[in-house]
Amino acid sequence: MERVQGGVASPTPYGTPPESGVPYGPGRRPSRHAASAFGRRAALSTPAFGWTLLFFLIPLAILVVYSFGQVNYDTLAVHWGWNLQNYSQIGQSLYRDAIFRSVRLSVLATLACLAVGYPVAYWISRQPAKRQRLFLLLLIIPFWSSFLVRTYAIANLLADGGPLATLVRSLGLGRLNIQYSSLAVGIGIVYSYLPLMVLPLYVALERLDPVVAESAHDLGARPWRVFWRVTLPLSAPGIVAGCILVGIPATGEYVIPTILGGGKTLMYGNLVATQFQEAGDIPLGSALAAALTAAITIVALFGRRAARSAEDIT
Amino acid sequence: MTRPSGRQLGGTVLTVFVMSAFVGLYAPLVLVVINAFNKNVLLTSWAGFTWKWVKQAIDNGRVRQDFLNSAEVAIVSSVLALAIAVPAGLWARTASRRGRQILDATTYMRIVLPEIVAALGLLILFSRLHVALGIDTVIIGHVVFNSAYAIVIVQARLATMTTVLEDVAADLGARPWRVFRRVTFPFLLPALVVAWLLAFAFSFDDVITSTFLAGSGTETLPMLIFGLARFRVDPEVNAIGAGLMVITLACLGFTLLVAHGRVTGGLILGGRARRET
Repeated sequence: MERVQGGVASPTPYGTPPESGVPYGPGRRPSRHAASAFGRRAALSTPAFGWTLLFFLIPLAILVVYSFGQVNYDTLAVHWGWNLQNYSQIGQSLYRDAIFRSVRLSVLATLACLAVGYPVAYWISRQPAKRQRLFLLLLIIPFWSSFLVRTYAIANLLADGGPLATLVRSLGLGRLNIQYSSLAVGIGIVYSYLPLMVLPLYVALERLDPVVAESAHDLGARPWRVFWRVTLPLSAPGIVAGCILVGIPATGEYVIPTILGGGKTLMYGNLVATQFQEAGDIPLGSALAAALTAAITIVALFGRRAARSAEDIT
Repeated sequence: MTRPSGRQLGGTVLTVFVMSAFVGLYAPLVLVVINAFNKNVLLTSWAGFTWKWVKQAIDNGRVRQDFLNSAEVAIVSSVLALAIAVPAGLWARTASRRGRQILDATTYMRIVLPEIVAALGLLILFSRLHVALGIDTVIIGHVVFNSAYAIVIVQARLATMTTVLEDVAADLGARPWRVFRRVTFPFLLPALVVAWLLAFAFSFDDVITSTFLAGSGTETLPMLIFGLARFRVDPEVNAIGAGLMVITLACLGFTLLVAHGRVTGGLILGGRARRET
């Protein structure tokens, strides 16, 4: 088909393969995308779409179908049906409170991440180019080392009798008891996701023309005012992107609360996993997973629009 | 540039804050390594240097088997990821706008959606089809997210390449396969190495997909660490964890060599960020 298109302008018969060795006569332009002929074959996309369809989209669809089913608690067999019982169960206090706690924790952790990440991103963006690269690299290296080990590292740090507890005691601040608490889970989230917050913030701040802030300063604005009225609003797209990049995975987190929360502080991811691993209520677990997916899609789309409109304003 | 002293003070405070943030980023990792060599079993204080835990971990048959399982899963799944990503990337260059949008959307969905959702969906699929869980099902699950990262990296590289050289090669009579082998592939090679190493590292480190898709008879190294770490802090776990960290960091080191010191992390994190902004 492509070849026909390419041959339209040429006097040679349609469909002459460009690689057929036909000498280029006057006016005969080789197919414009001759080289890409290889890349044009639809078959090339088959592995990617096939794998995605079979092992990602179909499983998600099955998950949604299951979420409307019911489980028989004696036989653990799943009965099909189209009822909303699982979803209304999510609204009951047991799950609603757990979801609320988990979302609140991930929001707080995301804000803490922003509070730590913003100064870091700001500072890096104000360094000479070479040093910027160095510190970005230093930021990414831990992110690339094992996620699991990083979480375990925080467990080392926060353990009863661990280094932090010893430090606090030797400073005479009393006994530190945060092992297996939601605070520990929050610290773990901030620690693990900090680079995901800093990078989009850095991208937004680095793009800022320093002249804008300088002129605000020259017009008499005090440094804090320059920051609040100029730098911060202009970096809004980075803030939105960073919060989404951290907030979404934090909400669905499973590893961090399991290791640092000691099974007491549950995030949404644990709530879903428990239905599969212990409760055996796969339809309810599916409903929880489907609800999470829907919420994330909405947040991601909304966030993209927010980031875009923030960009339009600036 | 002269600035008011208030600003200078603010600058110093900022620098101190940022430096302590970086110390805080590395201190826990250093602690893991230190505690892998700590004589104190309870890890409450430093009691002297010992190789005991490292030896104990290496001599542990379960650790060795899990290591081999992890290596098999990581190698096979990263190769499959490339086999999926390269053709998809080439296809996307000339695909219709709609086709590219579908590829991008399904790629970013796989990156953004919590891993646990995809893993549970696969778990249901396999149990419906009566597929026995084991190393194969883990590999299938890993390729789902690995190939997404690989596609992002391959596409990023292809975006910097015009088709001029390939067009010229074709004009000079090279057949499509030859054009790919002699022009496209050499250009893509650095990206392929980066994508392969990243896919390998992510797979080697994965806990969630492995936990749900391995069944009861198969275990990977991260699954072992995860199982032990949820209950206590233990020097042997530190030794295994330090080993896992060394492996993933070695992948990063190679990647940086290949990328010639460019911040490649930007590629992958940029890929994550691109969907949102």
